[in-house]
Amino acid sequence: MTAQAMRDAWYPVGLLSQLSFEGKDSLLLGQKITICGAETGAPRVESDGRNLPVVERFGHLWTTLGAPNKDLFTIPEADHPDRTRVDVGVVRVKCSPLRAVENFLDVAHFPFVHTDILGAESHPEVSEYKVEIRDDVDEVWATKVEFFQPQAAKSAGGGITTEYMYRVPAPTCSILYKTCPPRPDEWDVIALFVQPLTEDLCDVWPWMALFDDESAMTDLIHFQQLIFLQDRSILENQIPKRLPLDPAMETPTRADLTSIAYRRWLKRHNYTFGAQLVAE
Amino acid sequence: MAAESDARWVPVAISADIMDGTVIPARLPTGRIAVWRSVSGHIYANGDRCPHRGMRLSHGFVRGETLSCIYHGWRFGTDGACQKIPAHPAVAPPKTINCGALPVVEGNGVVWVATQRPSNEPSHIAGFEALRSLVITATPDAITHAFEGKTIVGATKVQLVGHDALLLMNILGPDEVFVIVLIETDLSVSDRLAVSAAVEGLRRAAETTEDAA
Repeated sequence: MTAQAMRDAWYPVGLLSQLSFEGKDSLLLGQKITICGAETGAPRVESDGRNLPVVERFGHLWTTLGAPNKDLFTIPEADHPDRTRVDVGVVRVKCSPLRAVENFLDVAHFPFVHTDILGAESHPEVSEYKVEIRDDVDEVWATKVEFFQPQAAKSAGGGITTEYMYRVPAPTCSILYKTCPPRPDEWDVIALFVQPLTEDLCDVWPWMALFDDESAMTDLIHFQQLIFLQDRSILENQIPKRLPLDPAMETPTRADLTSIAYRRWLKRHNYTFGAQLVAE
Repeated sequence: MAAESDARWVPVAISADIMDGTVIPARLPTGRIAVWRSVSGHIYANGDRCPHRGMRLSHGFVRGETLSCIYHGWRFGTDGACQKIPAHPAVAPPKTINCGALPVVEGNGVVWVATQRPSNEPSHIAGFEALRSLVITATPDAITHAFEGKTIVGATKVQLVGHDALLLMNILGPDEVFVIVLIETDLSVSDRLAVSAAVEGLRRAAETTEDAA
């Protein structure tokens, strides 16, 4: 059954710091779920009269409708004690959960959507980078992605060429490792965890683990929310709503290698909730 | 669909609503389009979808005689062909990348678009100009009935607060019609406001008729 593949994956359903003890109704892959915080013990997620498996990680509560054959991924770099971990919160977007992830993997839109913040129109070029599906860990990776950014992070003083690495460890999650202005030997970690509500509606939970002693938490959250709200204006206006997996539907270029690998990986695993398989 | 039915001019917008250097969304019975006016004042229309990642081109921006997608800045010329992919400045875009330019003309203050170029221009209606546009959620028959209109070739003749007017209809769906109201060019501002208010009332009447049916 093709729908089973995505049921067997883990999804974020809330911030651990903000769970409701009375229970909050939500959706996961179109199915109703209820999320309950607990004064003691683990939070619960209930659906269809049964308790679903839960994991508490990266400041979020995670669950699954099926039976995952592996634990929720880890981000070892994020564990460093000096990092500031930022629960950005939730942004609801009227788009396919897969389109939300694909947009996160894209640097070519920075000059036009995040103008003078993550990109500048005077520096739109995407140089060659490396993309692979790592079979041993079953993840999509893009490395050596370089891009000129006027204000790469809250902690960046001026324009710098930023290096990025992207990782897709689950169908609706992506982690970005990027040059960390105050610590050249480390990477800032910015993650996008997407809760697929329906095929064309999702809750996006951005999360960060940064080396930044200077900025106030509120400013870090505002920065990330500003970026994501700019993305939302794109995501809610793409046609078709669902991510086309038929290569004939859209026209990728060399800058889109990560997106091409992501789409191929989705197709290979039948991760098709939010995808459009044939042109309509 | 028969080519013959495609080769007709459809009223999609009011000329004055599209300033130089801007783009707006509009609709044909066959789908969404982007209508834009270049900086030199020429009008163009094409599909409302960037072939790259499906972003609506009506959210894009106009520079000179080109329309660019807001997502990745892909630039399209007046023939719909992609001229530039900013992520790859040294690469000439393949000729096959095209956002689908459509035939477009202006007359009586109305922008007309066709999916295939008709043999004639839209007929000029001397002494009339566009006042406003609106979408009415009703059938064309219900609209004609509510406005007590008389169907003539290409338009519906009506009387609005004592003034001759014409309705141009772009039938978007079974009960959704984009309407442009033409009035006599010499009407005063207060008369124009009165006609516009009357149209609003008749829209409600047409939509109510539909509900009752």
